[in-house]
Amino acid sequence: METILLKNIQNPNSADIAEYKKAGGYASIRKALGMEPQQVIDEVKKAGLRGRGGAGFPVAMKWTFASADPKFPKYLLCNADEGEPGTFKDRPILEKNPHLLIEGMIISGHALKAEYGYIYLRGEYPAAKHILNAAIQQAYDTNLLGENILGKGITFHLAVHQGAGAYICGEETALIESLEGDKGQPRIKPPFPVNVGVFSKPTVVNNVETLSNLPYIIEVGGETYAKIGTPDCPGPKIFCISGHVEKPGIYELPMGTKLRDIIYTHCGGIKGGKKLKAVIPGGISTPVLPPDKIDCPMDFVNMPKHGSMLGSGAVIVMDESVCLVKVCHRALKFFEHESCGKCTPCREGTGWLRAILGRIENGEGMEGDIDTMLAVSANMLGKTFCPLGDGAASVVQNFIKHFRPEFEEHIRAKKCVVNG
Amino acid sequence: MITITINDREIKLEKPVSVLEAARSAGIKIPTLCYHEQLERYGGCRLCLVEVEKMPRLQTACTLMVADGMVVRTETEQIADVRRGILEFLLINHPLDCPYCDKAGECDLQDLVEKYGPGKGRFKEKKRKVPESLQDPVIVRNMDRCIMCTRCVRMCEGLQGASAIAVINRGGHSHIEPFSSGRFDCEYCGNCVSVCPVGAIMSRLHRHSYRPWQVKEQYETVCPYCGVGCTVVTQVRDDVIKRVIPKLGSTVNNGMLCSRGRFGYEFVGSKDRLSVPLIRKNGALAEATWEEAITLVAKKLGNIKSTYGSDAVAGMASPRCTNEDNYVLQKFLRVAVGTNNVDTTARTGFAGAQSFIENIFGQGATANIISGLANSDTVMVIGGDPTTVNPILGLQIRACARRGGQVMTVGEFEGLRIFSPTKLLPRQFTETFLLEGIVTALREKKGLSGANAPLEGKIKSINVTAADVAAKSGVSEKQLAAYVDLLAAATTFSIVIGKETVQSIGGSYKLLLLAAITYLANGRVYLLSEKANEQGALDMGCAPDMLPGYRPVAYPEFTKKYGAVWHAELSEKPGLNLFEMIEAAEKGTLRAMYVMGENPVCNIPNSGRVEKAFKNLDFLIVQDIFLTETAKLADVVLPALGWGEKDGTFTNMERRIQRVKKSVQREGMEDWKIVAEIAKNMGYRMDYTKAEEVFHEIAKVSPLYRDLSYEDIEKGENIYPYKGEPLRDVKEDIQIDTSAVSAAAGKLYLKVERPLFHSGTMSTHAASLMNIYPHAVARIGAGRAKMLSLTEGDVVTVRSKAGALSLFIAIEKAGDDLSVTISNNFESKGAFRLADYTLDQVTKAPCIDAVEISIEKVTA
Amino acid sequence: MFSSAAKQEIEDIRTKYPNARAALLPTIYVAQREFGWLSSEAYDAVADLLNVPKATVRGVATFYAMYKQKPMGRHLIQLCTNVSCMILGAERLVDFLKITYGVEPGGVSPDGRFSLVIMECIGACGTAPAMLVNDDFHDNLTEKKLQEILEKYT
Ligand SMILES: Cc1cc2nc3c(=O)[nH]c(=O)nc-3n(C[C@H](O)[C@H](O)[C@H](O)COP(=O)(O)O)c2cc1C
Ligand code: SF4
Ligand code: FES
Repeated sequence: METILLKNIQNPNSADIAEYKKAGGYASIRKALGMEPQQVIDEVKKAGLRGRGGAGFPVAMKWTFASADPKFPKYLLCNADEGEPGTFKDRPILEKNPHLLIEGMIISGHALKAEYGYIYLRGEYPAAKHILNAAIQQAYDTNLLGENILGKGITFHLAVHQGAGAYICGEETALIESLEGDKGQPRIKPPFPVNVGVFSKPTVVNNVETLSNLPYIIEVGGETYAKIGTPDCPGPKIFCISGHVEKPGIYELPMGTKLRDIIYTHCGGIKGGKKLKAVIPGGISTPVLPPDKIDCPMDFVNMPKHGSMLGSGAVIVMDESVCLVKVCHRALKFFEHESCGKCTPCREGTGWLRAILGRIENGEGMEGDIDTMLAVSANMLGKTFCPLGDGAASVVQNFIKHFRPEFEEHIRAKKCVVNG
Repeated sequence: MITITINDREIKLEKPVSVLEAARSAGIKIPTLCYHEQLERYGGCRLCLVEVEKMPRLQTACTLMVADGMVVRTETEQIADVRRGILEFLLINHPLDCPYCDKAGECDLQDLVEKYGPGKGRFKEKKRKVPESLQDPVIVRNMDRCIMCTRCVRMCEGLQGASAIAVINRGGHSHIEPFSSGRFDCEYCGNCVSVCPVGAIMSRLHRHSYRPWQVKEQYETVCPYCGVGCTVVTQVRDDVIKRVIPKLGSTVNNGMLCSRGRFGYEFVGSKDRLSVPLIRKNGALAEATWEEAITLVAKKLGNIKSTYGSDAVAGMASPRCTNEDNYVLQKFLRVAVGTNNVDTTARTGFAGAQSFIENIFGQGATANIISGLANSDTVMVIGGDPTTVNPILGLQIRACARRGGQVMTVGEFEGLRIFSPTKLLPRQFTETFLLEGIVTALREKKGLSGANAPLEGKIKSINVTAADVAAKSGVSEKQLAAYVDLLAAATTFSIVIGKETVQSIGGSYKLLLLAAITYLANGRVYLLSEKANEQGALDMGCAPDMLPGYRPVAYPEFTKKYGAVWHAELSEKPGLNLFEMIEAAEKGTLRAMYVMGENPVCNIPNSGRVEKAFKNLDFLIVQDIFLTETAKLADVVLPALGWGEKDGTFTNMERRIQRVKKSVQREGMEDWKIVAEIAKNMGYRMDYTKAEEVFHEIAKVSPLYRDLSYEDIEKGENIYPYKGEPLRDVKEDIQIDTSAVSAAAGKLYLKVERPLFHSGTMSTHAASLMNIYPHAVARIGAGRAKMLSLTEGDVVTVRSKAGALSLFIAIEKAGDDLSVTISNNFESKGAFRLADYTLDQVTKAPCIDAVEISIEKVTA
Repeated sequence: MFSSAAKQEIEDIRTKYPNARAALLPTIYVAQREFGWLSSEAYDAVADLLNVPKATVRGVATFYAMYKQKPMGRHLIQLCTNVSCMILGAERLVDFLKITYGVEPGGVSPDGRFSLVIMECIGACGTAPAMLVNDDFHDNLTEKKLQEILEKYT
């Protein structure tokens, strides 16, 4: 397949505007600025674009809400927090193809009649900050940003706001709080950001990858774009594969590519010919799958039917050498560390689960621990303020669901039964 | 109309509220922890989760707004499980130390666990442990009991506006810090204590001596400290006030208190209280019986009256005493002694300013509802930091700013700093030019309506250009214009005037200018009022020229009328005001004084002079609850019952009459009772048996309080103009005093601090407030300190023409280089020792803004 | 107190936002760089400059993992140990750092050369295990490669 999002990123100067333009970049912008905002939204609707940040929300719908709100100014926020462990799909765009994102944001800004955009960049990407700032400067210098863009009477300002190490800031309302100079804790919804977002103004938050689809959609039109991928989830998707495969890395493939094909066809199978033990298909918050469940099409609609979620498309492959109690424990350490502390079940539950898992891993498991963990996660699931807590609970539930005997053996043997 | 169904019951609602509020309005209980009716919605504890039809997830009732046709269930088996689960989470790190915890019995967590379980925990891991902290002077923290509902933080940030605490760290490591330790803007209001649902933050004052079920009585009364008149509830066990708490929904302060109100009550049971009368014998005060004391006073006053005439006697009433006390004292002086020589320390600021403003705008012009400030779109503040003088009023200004209103100041007020007011900072002694400039520009912008001819006449005569203002005051033309633009744009404007303006040279002219601004911006005036019953003392006729209800003594129709009710012939000759009394005492024309509930030797500027004058009297009677500096000079000291020990009424700055209630039983007599006894001994009968009877009489004679009863007050018919008609629209010619001074280069001037943690000297008998602010200090700007090579804690002698004080130095990072700030709350160390004054010819307020001082390090 | 250059930098940052408060996070970054870590002096400087209450500044800063509440070594090693890195040996690298440089997670090496912070995924999972040293990414780490890299940071 011809790559759309990762086009040209292997070129040495891919982040430079000249290089980007040489490859046809910033062509869509002229086209888009010649369209009425509503026409842009209509194209995106035809394209069937869904958000790539994890939830798969239809982009055109979100835009329509924000554009219908009478308040001004409006804000467009690019979610470049990429915090979901296992995920490294936005980073190549940010570092190697920043103008694709900027072009996408200008187009979206026009569609939304938003005059201000911010890229909320995670603190862990210091290189990307410099690259983005340089690219933004180039765009300002060439009148692609700022006032009266390309003489079309359209204004769009763009700046980078750097996070400081908080996974929860990927959640859009937490991101907004953080942008406003506060702790990144999720807000009560409603009101939704599309009505009362950053600085109390209508705000759209979209992922880097989502926004990077726009130049192409405008270039070829929504209908042509929609032919890529599956009917419910059209378009290309960047998958990032890590762990025990021969060729880990990023792969731009059509939505709906089967997990098995990703692992065995594109990534060359399990490293060293070992046996596959488990796969986390969409970033650490998504339910783990055992080897017999990997014949699932990777998209937002099909994955839930197969017991997991597409999430960010971050596939973590684990071979037989991996101790799943340890993985589960590490995952809960992450959730405990990243829980924002606002709501009781997540704040207390993540720590409790982590503590039990830690004990089991250390050979101090007790009879009843598994039941306690199931009870604790049940008390969390569906009761937390935001999906982070749900994620933590479902990770534990699914590890136990698919690999209960391994947990039981750890408890019984009072040591790791995988690696001794 | 919105209709929703909760647990099969239909509920109709006028306006959209949360499901929780809807349920509560229908008497359906949903448990909550992080929710608090005063605070912003949070939705964190998750205890209030309910089932809502057509919604896949459970919803928090406290955050979900009702929608027409919504069907909600709050008591299903699933919900019970959820609640148990959440409570279990809250208990895993909880120390479970209920037997030892003062909160037991009124702890939300305890109550909920008792109701929903879990009966036992499954948590086998290590608990977080946080030791008890006694770092704060008034708060004790047991943070391992904290459930992270953040109510305290939302209170401190959102309502109190101190932002002294925050959630530190995140997730399971989050905790609330840092409270005070002096460094973090804590105002010690204790409002966090009110909202903490568990035993994490509690008052240190009743640590381990308070159990809710042992509290037998509680009384809804009024705070004894400032003119705001907050409702407080005293909780009593064994005749000791164990705790003072606010009341949610109370009109003036709606559940909020300041540090004085909440923690300043310990003076009531203080060991230093006077308990028996004292009579000076051989130069020293010695204990005496009531009978001895009363007959002596009656005899002495009788003698002086017959030898030197009635006007050789004067009395000082008290803004700390009740209306009933004050009424009886002035009546005593007018009928039993026969003089109009009665006044109060309200004269030092509040009284003159009020009559000045009323003379322009009519009576009651300063009686404005305090909560109106929060609803104003523009509030201008001058002459004092409202957040320290009248803290709860200050909160209303902060609320105005938070709601997007414009807060504008002349001068720098620390308590408003983080609310980023628009401020003008004129050079010293140039405020008048600045105000003239504002009036000129505002008049040009808004024009004159013709509504108030005398005032407009004055306004027309003011013409100061912006360039002039800039040259003299240093406030640029641009700043001035921007400020005036804001004033002109105001639609609901309020102005708050503090004593510093009233007590400055040319004060009455400044008041005129402020009145002009108010008039042009179509606003209302608030006068800061330092003591609880300044308004009441004036209403009661504790003024040399006014009978109760502001009826001038000089008008025979009034003296006759009052004389008829009082069965006496009243003098039509206006009496001496406070300052004239002192002069008369110096001269020897005044022979005796009756001081009730006041400490003039500390509370009147140039205290040294007052002290000397008092020593010159033949006979000094001091009736008080403590042996004050003044009492020490007395010939007879009469111990009175104080706040908390007696019934009565206070009238606050809004002119709201409120009931002050007896909470504890103590031997002795109320102030009014003592006075009445003396009157009886002088042959004038005053047969009141209780305060309420005094009030009946007030309601009979004073048109302001006409026909009111304690019952009416309780019912809420207690705000001006009450049942009586407002008095006439006094519009006499507007007199002003345009005296002025200019700053002398390099000079240091005295500034009077009006601290948050003290009020008068009464608060120095409250141990907790003393822990916060233990002794007098001289505050000096960092720049000046450096110039004088002074460091924090150095001892200095501060000298003025009037006197000298030796004080510790406190260095203020942001302080100016022109002044030294000293409070007037510590006996014998008060700023008023240094404060030589002149009187404003119109308001008769002492002008103390130009007191030159020098400072000198005391070498060890 | 901020240097005047830092003040100017913060002034420039402020223009990117509609109000001063929104500049809090970037200002804390500047303070951290200027003061080395978030000492109480640094906190006061931020609070004073932006007119934000001190407790609020502390509350916000301590929420974020990348703001340093302790003095730091000369170089900051941010090593990821999340699942993808862990299953490819990140924990061995932690042990290696302890033995070779005497630096524990969250601590500073005795010579003050390195600080070590354990990270939750730094977006280099495809080339795990990975770390950041100061602002530079290093991936496909082995003990040997780790040592080679660190030797360049003196
Ligand atoms: C705990 C949590 C973390 C999230 N992290 C990210 C993230 O790192 N990047 C991202 O783009 N979206 C993240 N999201 C999803 C965002 O909330 C939001 O759905 C997304 O930015 C919307 O953009 P999209 O519609 O283009 O996907 C996260 C959501 C949650 C609940
Ligand atoms: S589930 Fe609760 S504590 Fe966890 S991150 Fe979301 S809001 Fe914060
Ligand atoms: S009361 Fe509703 S979540 Fe706490």
